[in-house]
Amino acid sequence: MTVPAAVGSPADACPGFLLALESADEYAAIETALGLVDAGVPAERVLLELVAPAQVEVGRRWASNAWSVAQEHAATHISERVVAAVAARANPRATRGRIVVACMDGEWHALPPRLVAEVLRLRGWQVTFLGASVPAAHLVSYLHRHDAHAVALACALPMRLPHAYRMVEACRRSDVPVVVGGRGFGRDGRWARRLGVAWAPDAPAAADLVADERALRRVPPVDLAHLADDEYASLVKRRAALIDSALGDLRARVPGVREYDAVQLDSTVSDLGHIVDFLAAAVFVDDGTLFTEFVEWLTGILVSRGVPAAAVALTLDHLAGELRDFPRAVGFLAGGLALLAQQAGASAR
Amino acid sequence: MTAADVRDWDPGDGRISTPSAARAPAWSADVPVRPPAALPPLAPDRGPPAPDWAEVVEHFREGLIVCDAAGVVRQLSPVAERLLPEVAVGELLAASGVAGLRTPPAGGEFGHRGRRLRVREVPLSAGRSCHYVEDVTESVTRADALLAERARSAFLAVVGEKLGNPLHPDRAAAAVVRLAVPTLAEVAVLVLAPRSGRARWWRATRADDEAPGVDSGVLNAVDLPAAIDEGLVGAEPHTLDWLVEQAVEAGWLPGLDAVDVSVRVVPLPGRDLPAGALLVARRSARYYDEADVDLLRAFAARAGAALTTAVLYRDQAEVADTLQASLLPVEPAEVPGVQWGTAYRPAQAGLRIGGDFYGSHRLPDGGAVFFLGDVAGKGVEAAVFTGQLRQCLQALHRVESHPARLLRLLNDALLETTLAHGQGRFATMVLGVVRPRRDGGVTLTMSGGGHLPPLVLRSCGEVETVGLSGMLIGVVPDPRIGEVTVELAPGETCLLYSDGVTEARGGRRGDEQFGVDRLLHALGGCHRMPAPALAERIEQVTCDWLAHGDHDDIAVLALRATGPHSRPARHLHAVPALP
Repeated sequence: MTVPAAVGSPADACPGFLLALESADEYAAIETALGLVDAGVPAERVLLELVAPAQVEVGRRWASNAWSVAQEHAATHISERVVAAVAARANPRATRGRIVVACMDGEWHALPPRLVAEVLRLRGWQVTFLGASVPAAHLVSYLHRHDAHAVALACALPMRLPHAYRMVEACRRSDVPVVVGGRGFGRDGRWARRLGVAWAPDAPAAADLVADERALRRVPPVDLAHLADDEYASLVKRRAALIDSALGDLRARVPGVREYDAVQLDSTVSDLGHIVDFLAAAVFVDDGTLFTEFVEWLTGILVSRGVPAAAVALTLDHLAGELRDFPRAVGFLAGGLALLAQQAGASAR
Repeated sequence: MTAADVRDWDPGDGRISTPSAARAPAWSADVPVRPPAALPPLAPDRGPPAPDWAEVVEHFREGLIVCDAAGVVRQLSPVAERLLPEVAVGELLAASGVAGLRTPPAGGEFGHRGRRLRVREVPLSAGRSCHYVEDVTESVTRADALLAERARSAFLAVVGEKLGNPLHPDRAAAAVVRLAVPTLAEVAVLVLAPRSGRARWWRATRADDEAPGVDSGVLNAVDLPAAIDEGLVGAEPHTLDWLVEQAVEAGWLPGLDAVDVSVRVVPLPGRDLPAGALLVARRSARYYDEADVDLLRAFAARAGAALTTAVLYRDQAEVADTLQASLLPVEPAEVPGVQWGTAYRPAQAGLRIGGDFYGSHRLPDGGAVFFLGDVAGKGVEAAVFTGQLRQCLQALHRVESHPARLLRLLNDALLETTLAHGQGRFATMVLGVVRPRRDGGVTLTMSGGGHLPPLVLRSCGEVETVGLSGMLIGVVPDPRIGEVTVELAPGETCLLYSDGVTEARGGRRGDEQFGVDRLLHALGGCHRMPAPALAERIEQVTCDWLAHGDHDDIAVLALRATGPHSRPARHLHAVPALP
């Protein structure tokens, strides 16, 4: 049996869609998506099987330095317009309660939660999407005005977990159940469990979860007793000093760093900031894999941009010395160093 | 902690028994209980002077019954005699008819003649045995009362914690009934004071497994049971049969049998009249006694306060929101050939308004006036002033569309307001007119009043700073106002932004300004970006730089010439603005 070429599937349309994103052609991208909807493909499938995988690819191209930040931004913006167009075409009627969807404070990856928002809307919920980087105060005051059945919070970067926890607590104080999602909680949601909050791996799972009131109310216990050792709080307090000393150390040990221009210096400071923030987040949830996964990701990014992985090892080594009174942090740094050594060994062979 | 824990509590100070008869009753709670059979037989008397054991035993708080190997009672202390008058010397203990002695219950406690007795049997030498009998009525009562009191305060503490946060009114109502179950009731119904003839109710029903189920509904005020009506005016109806009947009739007591149910209604105090009435019901086996009703009233006081606060808070938030909405920048009007992009992030996140503003108004000739500015100060006052400014411009652009002259008019209007009020504020701003060209590009005529100069992203990727200066608006009568004309080819973008962007403090030590150089660098390679994505990018790089510190208001307005080849805008009309 042959499928008429005009109908196609989201997977078939993906290459063309990516091409439209690459050339920042908003109209072509919207036409591709709406073409599928008009040909009878359910809107939810268009969102989850065309827009979502394309966005994963966009992220991959940015990480491998194939696309610039500007290109990635433009593509994401166009994807958002596509989502809005598909949602408007499907135009579902709200028959169920209100769900508030938002990105954590400081979190700019708005497309994944936007997809979740639209999937929920397609399933009959009345959805309010508050957008990227929503301050906790704003979210809470919204919840005071509008009763919500549940709040869905997105976090793409594990370094925002401490913020995520505060935001979840704020919602809880408003007596509104919370569902979280996004890669920030770990591939399997293990850090969501640590924070004692319901987690959904994807949009359909989130939709199932919010539909089950008992599951929403069944909150797993918070597992943060390790915070009593004050390592997290002290790390946060020493953030600026740690970045400063790590930069000084790089300048002393890597000759090239001394000749960095302002832009290079800024991006180095920003990378060092990430290292400290991810380390703090790992200490916050007491899981070394958070930090090792980050080191693996960071070296991938840096190597694709011409920065040797050895520079990361130098910084981790330096931080381990600075933080010798922080046994958990030192343990996590050692884990990162072991990974780098292993990678170096593998590439030497 | 259970009652048994309290009762078996050992003071640990070595007090074993008290020989003083006068003090004996006071110590009754302190007698340690030793496991039976663990004690060695009493040591034989040694050395003079031999104590008179009979005299000593007489003052024991525990009564002693010594039986021989055959189970016949041989000795009986006066205390045992008093506690167990059925037991007689020379007869079989089993024949006394005291059930608790024949088959000692778990824990050794049993009720007898209205007292609570604790008994333990200790084997003695030669097959004899001794029963130690103690009257623990008082300590048990005291421990039970203590535990009940402790449970009540724990319950109220949880209630205080849950209801202490400001909640949405519906959430608060649901929380009230949920908290009442199971401690206060098996079914709890909250009826809010009716508004326009309709009363909303919430009900929690005990579910065996976990959290109580909550449902809600609306009743006409005239259909409310009489007892609820009484509760809503502050009276506390008493537990009468008709109260149960009314509750059953209203269909509020599923799973409870009308003949076997105990019901109470309490008003929930509000600001003036009660905020609502709470009906609680449970099986008659757990009748509401004095202490229960006291607890119910304490709960009602907290619940009433929470409901009142919730409504107050919501009403105020509504007023604030309405006012805020009128002060928020309005998205620029659609103009053919122009794509707008905006970003707005006020300094006080909870407030959502600030001293930055932008906007646009369409002109009859197909062009548009656009502006972005910043008034002195932050917060509500600044936001109110931006509202005045925007209204001024809304009116003035109809009589004057030349940017520099329009800005002068605005300056005069502001000065007049300042004179009239004896105080005033000033603003910096860029105000321009965009007119589409035949070739798809646009011509921008801009005038500046002391604001940061606009940037232009050329299609070759270059970022230009537009030379535009001028004086503050609203300070002097005839300010120097800069003027400039910029041509944008299709695909080129002009960017206006407030100093919240360049003065954002962050970086290595958190005190470094973001600065124009970093902004220019961040714009590198962005010339092909759609205007909304560009505005969002600037907002993002600025906020990332802040590293979560405080910041000034941030506003961005991007204007892109879309070119003649842009397809008909019908697709875009189908796309609602992103919320």
